[in-house]
Amino acid sequence: MTGCDEIRDRLLSHHEDALGAEERRRVEAHLATCGECAREARLLREVLGRVQALPVPEPPAGFWEEFGAAVRERIGAEPPPRPSLWARVAAWVSGLQGLVRLRRMPALAAATALGLLLVIGLVRTQQTPRDLPPVEALVLSEDLGIAQNLELLENLDVLEEVEVLERLDLLRRLNGGRGSRLS
Amino acid sequence: MPQPDFEVVQRVLGGETAAFEVLVRQYQQDIYRLTYRMTRNAEDAKDLAQETFVQAYRALGTFRGQSRFSTWLYRIAMNLCLNHLKSSAREDPAEVDGHLADPRVDSLRVLLTDERDRAVAQAIEALPPQQKATLTLRVQQGLSHQEIAEVLDCSEGTAKANYFHAVRALQRKLQRFRDAG
Repeated sequence: MTGCDEIRDRLLSHHEDALGAEERRRVEAHLATCGECAREARLLREVLGRVQALPVPEPPAGFWEEFGAAVRERIGAEPPPRPSLWARVAAWVSGLQGLVRLRRMPALAAATALGLLLVIGLVRTQQTPRDLPPVEALVLSEDLGIAQNLELLENLDVLEEVEVLERLDLLRRLNGGRGSRLS
Repeated sequence: MPQPDFEVVQRVLGGETAAFEVLVRQYQQDIYRLTYRMTRNAEDAKDLAQETFVQAYRALGTFRGQSRFSTWLYRIAMNLCLNHLKSSAREDPAEVDGHLADPRVDSLRVLLTDERDRAVAQAIEALPPQQKATLTLRVQQGLSHQEIAEVLDCSEGTAKANYFHAVRALQRKLQRFRDAG
């Protein structure tokens, strides 16, 4: 026979329809015969129903107009947002991929990515206080996500041709109409 | 997968800063409801909701469309709310136990004429902040456990455990209603 404690542990999952078919049948069979657990299930439904239905007082007339105006005024004093350094790096690297074929020039790609990672790491280290405010932490975690997606990092095994970096401007200029010849 | 919101974000980042208002109008009520449910104070809720949009604007360049914009926005709002609750608790230790000493900070109280609703609201107030956040996001804002994990920067398992404990705590506090039938 199924124990009441075991069933009560599953009431929330049952309420959320998160049980498998077999377990669901087992819980429902128990509830059909156990008055205590059935009362517990009713209380759970009632509590969650009341939590869901707790009202949020309707703001007074004109609230949203004032709200929007206040936000506009505050962001108007902010500098325009720009893509993060990582996003710009990703876009730049993506453009570079069109400039050179990475299979033929892995050193350029790897050295570029590594160099940028080091520079960004230094900048972040200097700018990041010990106590990060929440959004700063958010920004960092988003940036780390981009790092995981940089396909270029897979090519880190070839680093000898770092000097190619010095010729990036030349490569860019050459790409104006003749990019394919570089590959 | 890029969302329509992501396209609006790209417009803002491309220099069309006025397009940010589209995002504000789209989400202001959702965010206000969230901040109100976390603080139960209309003035604090308004301030925190406005601050959410300002911080979102500042950090917009970091949004890459890998999660829904609303989830990203909720994360900012929830961080602000949790910090607010933490600093409020420091200022007024009575709140730690969920016994709000100042009735002015609870505008919801006047709306709740039903004894059980009042008891539910007080029981939510007494939850630890992470459990309160999880319960609010799940039951009142309708987020999935996975979305809650993203908002609260924890594993899905932790989000589920917090939800389970929150509901358990409410059930314990409201046991007298069970006994009353």
